[in-house]
Amino acid sequence: MKFLSNVQTTHKVFAALVLAVLYALPIFITSPVMLQIFILIFLYAYLTSSWNFVGGFAGVLPLGHSAFVGLGAYTSTLLYLTYNISPWIGMIAGGIVAAAFGLLIGLPTLKLRGAYFALATIAFAEGLRVLVENVEKLGPFEVRGPKGLLINLVGNSFKDFQFLSKVPYYYIILTMLVLVLILTFFMMRSKVGYYLAAGGEEPEAAEALGIKVSKYKLIAMAISCFLTALGGTFYAQLVLYFYPKSIMGLDMSYEIAFIALIGGRSTIMGPVLGAFLLRPVGELTRIYLGDTLPGLHLIIFGLVLIIVMRYQPRGLVEPVSRWLNILFDRIEKRRRA
Amino acid sequence: MIGYIESVINGILMGSIYGLTAVGLTLIFGVMKVVNFAHGSILMVGMFAAYWFITLTGFNPYLALVVVVPLLYFFGYYMQKIIIKPIFEAEKHVREPITVIIVTTGIWYVLDNLALLVFGAEFRVAQTSVTGKMVEVAEMYFPLAKMIGAGITLLLGIYLYWFLKHSRMGKAVRATSLDREAATLMGIKQSRIYNIVFGMGCACCGVAACVLVPFYYVYPTVGVPFDIKAFVIVVLGGLGSVPGAILGGIIIGIIETVGAQFMAATWTEMLIYAFFLVVLFVKPSGLFGLRQDY
Repeated sequence: MKFLSNVQTTHKVFAALVLAVLYALPIFITSPVMLQIFILIFLYAYLTSSWNFVGGFAGVLPLGHSAFVGLGAYTSTLLYLTYNISPWIGMIAGGIVAAAFGLLIGLPTLKLRGAYFALATIAFAEGLRVLVENVEKLGPFEVRGPKGLLINLVGNSFKDFQFLSKVPYYYIILTMLVLVLILTFFMMRSKVGYYLAAGGEEPEAAEALGIKVSKYKLIAMAISCFLTALGGTFYAQLVLYFYPKSIMGLDMSYEIAFIALIGGRSTIMGPVLGAFLLRPVGELTRIYLGDTLPGLHLIIFGLVLIIVMRYQPRGLVEPVSRWLNILFDRIEKRRRA
Repeated sequence: MIGYIESVINGILMGSIYGLTAVGLTLIFGVMKVVNFAHGSILMVGMFAAYWFITLTGFNPYLALVVVVPLLYFFGYYMQKIIIKPIFEAEKHVREPITVIIVTTGIWYVLDNLALLVFGAEFRVAQTSVTGKMVEVAEMYFPLAKMIGAGITLLLGIYLYWFLKHSRMGKAVRATSLDREAATLMGIKQSRIYNIVFGMGCACCGVAACVLVPFYYVYPTVGVPFDIKAFVIVVLGGLGSVPGAILGGIIIGIIETVGAQFMAATWTEMLIYAFFLVVLFVKPSGLFGLRQDY
């Protein structure tokens, strides 16, 4: 456990405590609606953490990540519906497909100025959505165009990635989130992580030191797309019905980017904090205001984003961790005394 | 054969209006190196303003230009001054101004959904004296409103070219876009140039909005398809290039209308994105882009 040696004991205890509470939560919360809200928070935290590999560490702005969510969902579901391949295997296949597409988009654009990359990812995501909406049949696969895909309900079955209760979904997505956060932690302390940090801030200087910046950005892109697609399969299995607009629309891409920036990009906990702040706003306004004030939560998202970027351009994780550190220092002092 | 010529010309007419929205985007990018993602929403604001002006007063639709264009100029001017400037200043020396890009996306979300809240989601059509009128030229039919729109675009394009090339302010704008520091040393006040350029970019949207309203639906998310087409066009023409934006717009317009002769309209949309990605692979600097710009 050498890598943990520079982390304070109080931090470790705090992290363990939070994890324990989150893992025990379904014992106390039994309402499916509340569980669903938590599942969606974790899902968005997961997707944003995956986004973070390229949006945070590689220092560019991908705005089309819903395309990879969609690729993951469509790949695993089509394999399941056509060949009855378990979504758990389809998940990995979806990840590989998404990573391949990510490399294809990254190859010409990651060398360019950030604006080109942002525009190319939007164009790719929208193009893919329009393509899927126009395809009824692709070889043996029934894509069904704008009608979307419906996964038959088979009841509780681990092999089919279907559960009648929300609790298994809760544990699956929470574990996926924890794993991706651990991966982020290792990534930040690895050679690739340092190369990316150097390349994101000073590409010319990094190149001069012999770092192939675009190569490492491509690696980050592939990892990010792979992980995002896994989230897509999870989403497909959670809702069991999806169509191109619901899963590959621009709204999802932007929400991921908003969460990352409000929370704090290129930090481990930023995406989690952002998801915990933004997701409930969306869910609660939808539950309590319904259709009377359409789009209100998106206005709130936009305003929060503008205000946070104005006063905390590095995201809200900075002040929050500052407060936590003050708190931890006090506890540490008291413990020593 | 005559059908193809008709659709090519229709493509040029519509494409020049796409080009007009793209010109605003490219002007702002050329000077500030910021892609204004709220561009389509500003077009939407302009279209609603023009729609209400025409519907409430019943004047000739092109009189709306007199009201809407200055309105959007000041809208852009103060949007840059109040919201974007402080964020832009903070990351002036960062290579990739990502925060500014994402803030313009936030503005997009706020504007589009405010419009949805205030005006509702329905599609509106302005009834004007030119709506639905066709002009016959050598057995080919063209919508009058599109012809007037293309004409206005052409005049604006010529004016902008003259403005950037010969006027004192235009020279200052070009100097700032070439080298911020050197321009400042010559006594050009950067922040003022930024405000003006942002205002001009939005005013271009105002012109586009006024020429669109007589023949296009007005609804809260009307900006999104125009926004995405404008992105494709500016990359195609070269980010920062004004003639590139107009030419890129015309190319996209032709692809759209000629493509529709062979395939369903939804596929032509696909064709535009595919074309865009091919351009990025083959010539990322676009048709008229400067090498230094990417």
